[in-house]
Amino acid sequence: MKELEKTQRLSIASVLVILVVLIGLISYKKPKHIYDINSKNTLEKVVSKDYFIGLDEIDNPNYILIDIRNQNEFDKGSLKNAINIYAPELLNKSNSKVFKKIKKSNKTIILYGAKPDETIAPFMLLHQLGYENCKILTVEISYFENKLITKNCLIENSKFDINAFIKESVKKASLKP
Amino acid sequence: MINRNLAKVLSFRYKIIALVLVLLAAGLVLLPKYEKHEGINPKDLLSNAISPERYISTDELADKIVNQDPSFLLIDVRDEKSFKKHALPDAINIPLEKLLDEESEGYLNQDEYDIILYSNDNFYADQAWIICNRLAYKNHRVLKGGVNKWFTTIINPKIPTENMPKVAFDLYSFRKAASMYFGVAYPEQAQATQNTTKKTTKKRVTLKKKKKMAAEGGC
Repeated sequence: MKELEKTQRLSIASVLVILVVLIGLISYKKPKHIYDINSKNTLEKVVSKDYFIGLDEIDNPNYILIDIRNQNEFDKGSLKNAINIYAPELLNKSNSKVFKKIKKSNKTIILYGAKPDETIAPFMLLHQLGYENCKILTVEISYFENKLITKNCLIENSKFDINAFIKESVKKASLKP
Repeated sequence: MINRNLAKVLSFRYKIIALVLVLLAAGLVLLPKYEKHEGINPKDLLSNAISPERYISTDELADKIVNQDPSFLLIDVRDEKSFKKHALPDAINIPLEKLLDEESEGYLNQDEYDIILYSNDNFYADQAWIICNRLAYKNHRVLKGGVNKWFTTIINPKIPTENMPKVAFDLYSFRKAASMYFGVAYPEQAQATQNTTKKTTKKRVTLKKKKKMAAEGGC
C-alpha cells in the first residue's frame, strides 16, 4: 500500500515536470535576430577604422556590393553588380537570407549609399549581428544630366580651422577703422 | 532473472530520476549564451538608427548656447588633440574609444540632461549614438554635419544674395549675431571693443530668436 502511494506521487510529480517542460518549450520563442557581438567589441571595431574601402579597390570577386538606397534611386543608377537592399528592410526575411548566404560563402559585404553617413546604421547593425566582414565604401553618389557620378570622399575630415578664422576676422576688423 | 535485475534497477529509480534532473539543470548552463545579447532588440535599433529624429541642426544648437539653455550637455567624441585645438563652448571630451568607460557612463547614461554628440562630421557621432542607443541610453542627439557644418553655417555664414527670400536674410542675421557671440568680429563694428560687442550681440541674438520663433509658428 505504501509502495503504491509512493508510485502515485511519483507519477503526479513526473507529469508535472513534463508539463512544465512542455509549456516552457512552447512558450519559448527564439528571437529572430540576435546580437553576436557585444557593445564593447563593436566599439573596438568602430575605433579601428579598418572598415573603409575606396572606389578603386572594389574590383574584387570576393566583394559583394550592396546598395542601401531605395529602389527608385537604385533603378536610376547604381554601381556595377550591386544588389539593392533598402536600409529599413535590412532585417526582412529574404534579406537576412542574402546576408547569411554571403557569410557562408566567406565573401565581404561592401555597403554604399548616397553618402557614407547613410551606411553607418546598416553597417553597425550587421556587424553587431555577427556579419563581421562588412565594409563601407567611401563614396558619394550624385547625378549629373541623368548620369551617375561617383566620387571618393574622406570620412570625418576636419575642413576648417575655426580658431584661425576667428583670429583672422578680429585682425581684419581691427585693421579697418 | 529478468525480474530480479529489473527490481535492482528499479530500486535506484529515485536516484536515477534525480540524476536526470541534475543533468538537465547542468544543461541549462550550457544553453546558447545570450549574454552578448545585451541591449534593445535589433529591429528597434535599426528603426531608431535610420530615423533622422536624432539630429539637431547647428542653428538650434547655436540658439541653445546663446540663450544659455542649461538642459543639455555637449559631448565631443573626437580625439583629445582635435578637442584641445578647438571645441564648441562648454563641451566635454569623450573620445570614441572611451565611450564605454565607467567614467563616461556617468555623463552618457542619465536622465537629467540632453546629450548632444558631435564630431567633425556626423559620422563618428552617429556611431557613438548607435552604440549608446543599443544600451538604451536616453535623450541623445547628434549635431547634424558636426563641426564642419558649424563653421559653414554659424561661424562663417554665407551672405544671402538679393534674390533670396526674406527668411534667408533673417536666418543670416541670426547666424551673424551668433557668430559674433562666438568671437568672430566684423569690420563694421570695429570701434567697439570686443567685450562690449559681445554684450550687445547677445541681446540682439535673443531678439532675433523671438522673430524667428514667430515665423516658425506661422508656418
